[in-house]
Amino acid sequence: MNAKNKKYVCLVGLLLALTLLAACAPAPTPAPTAAPPTAAPKPTVAPTVAPTAAPVATTAPTVAPTAAPKPTEATPNFAGKTLNVSFFAFNVDLINKNINQPFEKKYGAKIVYDTGNNADRLAKLVARKDNPNIDVVAFSTEFLLRAVQAGVIQPYDPAKIKNIDQLYDWAKDPLGNKMGVGYTISGYTMFYREDKVKEPLTSWKDLWRPDLKGYVSLPDITTTNGPATIALIAKAWGGDLNNDQIAWDKLAELKPNLITAYKNSAELITLVQQDEVWVSGYSTFAWGNLLNTKKPLKSVVPKEGLVGFVNTLSVVKGSPNAELAQAYIDFMISEQVQLAEALDLVDSPANKNVKVPADIAAKLTYGDDVIKSLMFLNDQQIANKRQGWIDRWNKLMAK
Amino acid sequence: MRQLFQTRTILLLITPALSFLALFFLLPLVFVLADSVRDPGGLTLQRYGDFLAQDQTRNVYLRTLQLGVIVTGLAALMGYPAAYLIARMPANRRALAMSLVILPLLTNPVARTYAWLVILGRNGFFNQAMVGLGLIAEPIRIIYTENAIVIGLLQLFLPLMVLTLVSAMENIPTDVEEAARSLGAGGLQTFLRVILPLSADGLVLGGTLVFTGSITAYVTPAILGGTRVLMLATLLQQRAIVLLDWSGATIIAVVMIMTTLLINGLLRQLRPRSV
Repeated sequence: MNAKNKKYVCLVGLLLALTLLAACAPAPTPAPTAAPPTAAPKPTVAPTVAPTAAPVATTAPTVAPTAAPKPTEATPNFAGKTLNVSFFAFNVDLINKNINQPFEKKYGAKIVYDTGNNADRLAKLVARKDNPNIDVVAFSTEFLLRAVQAGVIQPYDPAKIKNIDQLYDWAKDPLGNKMGVGYTISGYTMFYREDKVKEPLTSWKDLWRPDLKGYVSLPDITTTNGPATIALIAKAWGGDLNNDQIAWDKLAELKPNLITAYKNSAELITLVQQDEVWVSGYSTFAWGNLLNTKKPLKSVVPKEGLVGFVNTLSVVKGSPNAELAQAYIDFMISEQVQLAEALDLVDSPANKNVKVPADIAAKLTYGDDVIKSLMFLNDQQIANKRQGWIDRWNKLMAK
Repeated sequence: MRQLFQTRTILLLITPALSFLALFFLLPLVFVLADSVRDPGGLTLQRYGDFLAQDQTRNVYLRTLQLGVIVTGLAALMGYPAAYLIARMPANRRALAMSLVILPLLTNPVARTYAWLVILGRNGFFNQAMVGLGLIAEPIRIIYTENAIVIGLLQLFLPLMVLTLVSAMENIPTDVEEAARSLGAGGLQTFLRVILPLSADGLVLGGTLVFTGSITAYVTPAILGGTRVLMLATLLQQRAIVLLDWSGATIIAVVMIMTTLLINGLLRQLRPRSV
C-alpha cells in the first residue's frame, strides 16, 4: 500500500468514525413524513392546534389602534405592515394587477411572495416551524393535509372572513377544523384529438379501445392527478377507492395502449405537439397551454364526472400577522378578485356570485354542468394508499 | 525547511475550498449517513438489507449500474479518438474545438431533454430520416426505452470525458509516441502501451465523472425512459418529493454515494502502477 492509498483509507476511516459518532448522538427531531398509515385521524389534530388560536386574538389589539376612524365595519388599516404569502409561481404579472395592487390600496399593507411548488414550500414551513416567516400559505388540499399533520397551520376565524358565505360548499372548509379556505378549483378529466379519433370519447372505459393503441397517456402515479386517475378508472369499471383492485387489473390491460405516463404538463404538451399522444387525462390548469399546440383537441366531461381539486389558503401557525392574513384570505375570495382572476384565466372561481361570459367559462372549471359533475377525493384516504399505489404502479409499468 | 514551507503553503491554498466542502458537503453527508443507520434501538443496517432484498429496488439498482457502465464505456470509446485529435491540434484550433465540445453543457438540461422527444419520437427527425433513406420500413420505438436513456446520458456526459482526456493527453510529449514508433510499435500498440497508460489518470477521472453523473441523473432518465424504465434517481424522487419518506430516500442517496466511491476506488486500482 503506497502513501497515497494510505491517505485515502485514512479519510474514509475518519468519515466512518464521524458517522458513528453522529449516529450515537441524541436523535434529532424526526423529518416530517407524509401521513403514514398510523397518522392521527383528522379530529385528533384539532387539539394540538387549538391552543395557538389564542395568540391570534392577542395580536389584534396591536393592530386595532391604527384602524380608521369609523368604529363599525371599517376596513382595518394595516399601513406599513408586510404580509408574507407562500404561493404558487404562476402568472406573477396578473396576480400583481389583480391582487397586490388593489390589496395594498385597500389595506395599506404590502404583500411579499415566496413562490414554489407544494412540496418545497411545505418543507420550508416545517423547517421554520418554531420561527415562522410566512403568514399565509396556499396549498392543494393534499398538501394542506400534510401541513396540518406537521402542525404548521392554525385554524382561521370565520368571523374574520366574511366572504366565506359566498363560496361553494366544497370551498368553505374542505379539510374540516377550519384549516383552510378554498379559493379556486381545477378539474381532472380527459381530452382527445378530434382529427385522429373517429368515435368521440364519452367514458374512461374508452381508453381501452383498440383504435387508440399506442396513443394514450396518463399522468404518472406520483403526480397530483395520478390517484385521481386510479379513482376514475375504478369508478368506470364498477369499483371505487375502497375497491380499487379492478382499476389495477384494467391498467394491466391498458399497457399496450399507453405510450407513457407523463410527469408534468410540459411533458404532456410536448407529446401532444409531437403527435405522440391523441388521448390523455389532464388537469384543466393545462388547457390553455394544450390549446396553444394548435392541435384539434376536444375536452370531455365523461360519464364518470370530473375529479375536482381545490386549492386553499391557510393561516400559518404562529404568524405574527394573523389578523392581516385573514383579511388577505377574505380579499382573495371576494367577488371582485375572483372575477378578475377568472377573466384573466388565472383561476376558476370558488365564489358562487362570480359570473363570466360563455367563452371564458369554456376555458375554466365553471358552469352548473361541470360543477355538478365534480367528485372530490378524500385526501386522507389517498395519503394512506399512496405508497402502496406507487409500488404497485412501478411493478406494473416498469420492467 | 523548504519541505515545511511547502506544506504550509499548500495547506493555506486549499483551506478555502476544503472548509467550504467540509461545511457544505462532508458534514451534511455525515448526518445523512448517521441517520441511515440509526434506529430507536441503536444502530442497524436493516434498511440497507431491505433495499437489497426487495426485488424491485434491487432490480432498479442493477439496471442503474448497468446503464452507468454502458454509458461510461461508450463515452471512453468515443472520447479517446476525439480527445487525441484535439490534444494534437495547434493551440488556437484546440481552443475552438474545446469550446465546441463543451457546447452541449451550456444548454438547459430540461430543454435539451425535451428536444430529444422531438428527435427520437415516432414522428421525430431520426425516424423520418431513416424511413426517408429507406433504411427502415416503419418508424421504430426509441423513446421510452433503455437505448433512449443511454443516448441522452451519453450526449450529456461525453463532454466531461473528452475534457478530462484532453487535459491528460496534452501532457504526453509527442516525442514519446515517435520513440515508440521508431522502436517498431504499430498504431494500436502505441496506443495500448504508451498513450493509454500515460492518460490513465484522465480516464479514471473522466470515468468517475461520467459514471457518477449517469447513475445520479434524474431529468434525462425520467423523461427519456418514461414510465417503463425506472432508475435509482427516479425512485429517490418518488420517496423524497412525493412520499416525503426521508429515511427511504436517505438509503437510496447513501447507496448512490457509496457506489460512486467504490467505483472511483476500483478505477484507481485498475490504473497502471508505474505511473
